[in-house]
Amino acid sequence: MNQSLRFLIVILPILVLGFFAKVLLVDDDIKFTNFESKSFPLFELKDLNGDPVNARSLDGIKIVNVWASWCITCLVEHPFLTKLAEENIQIIGLNYKDSDFKANGWLQRHGNPYLFSIYDPRGDLAFDLGVTGAPESYLLVNNQVVGHIQGEMNLAKWETIFLPLINKAKQGSL
Amino acid sequence: MTKRYPILCFIFLLSTPVFNQMVYEFEDTMQEKRFYSLISEIRCPKCTSGSIASSDVPVSRDLKNKVYELVIDGSTDTEIKQYVSERFGSFSNYRPALEGLNYFLWFGPFIFLALILAIFFIKRRV
Repeated sequence: MNQSLRFLIVILPILVLGFFAKVLLVDDDIKFTNFESKSFPLFELKDLNGDPVNARSLDGIKIVNVWASWCITCLVEHPFLTKLAEENIQIIGLNYKDSDFKANGWLQRHGNPYLFSIYDPRGDLAFDLGVTGAPESYLLVNNQVVGHIQGEMNLAKWETIFLPLINKAKQGSL
Repeated sequence: MTKRYPILCFIFLLSTPVFNQMVYEFEDTMQEKRFYSLISEIRCPKCTSGSIASSDVPVSRDLKNKVYELVIDGSTDTEIKQYVSERFGSFSNYRPALEGLNYFLWFGPFIFLALILAIFFIKRRV
């Protein structure tokens, strides 16, 4: 009895300390891996050219990237998105709380990696999607939102969060 | 001092809260109570731990406005929480619903306590 109680007195605080050290000290970038999958919200919006967006254009495997011309981090992740687009990853922009004039100017200056950009000046679609700010990226498989990255998209996040999901989707096991 | 008084008033007029605060108006105090209790029970999606009531990031402001709209439209508390968690995940609810894995969350500590007490008394008797 005394032996096991002594053992517990030592081991319990160590476990508790270990738990809190992990939570507080280790920077978890992949906390969104257990994202609750949901269907892409219905919307009626135009793209940045003024043409209505066809919901069918979201079929297949698509990345939806939330961006705005006022968003500084969007500029940071822009080269990486451009690289993805060059590798034939299909990215759709969701232009968030922006003006079409400024947004189109931004794309002209920095290049356009998007198939097209949905123009959402009031952030209605973004709200229904659960966007908390720009930039943010969602992975869509046949109109189902299956993955989510908050903040800057980079190689590490791409490889740990989206790529495994894309591979699963391609094998048809998602 | 009396000379400076108008200047002081002018400076206070320029203070940002005067322009920034969104004022919510309600038809009755019941609605108002519900609104304030709801916004203190919905987690700010952008903060590590804080309700949307305590946060002024744009998405919390949008959320508060939406909750206000829904309260005025006559939605029930459950409907509003459902509406928010459909969009921002069940994480957004500060009081997790009693379902599925959450049973463990709600009753886990009591089970744990019972276990420890049981072990304690059994060991003691031996």
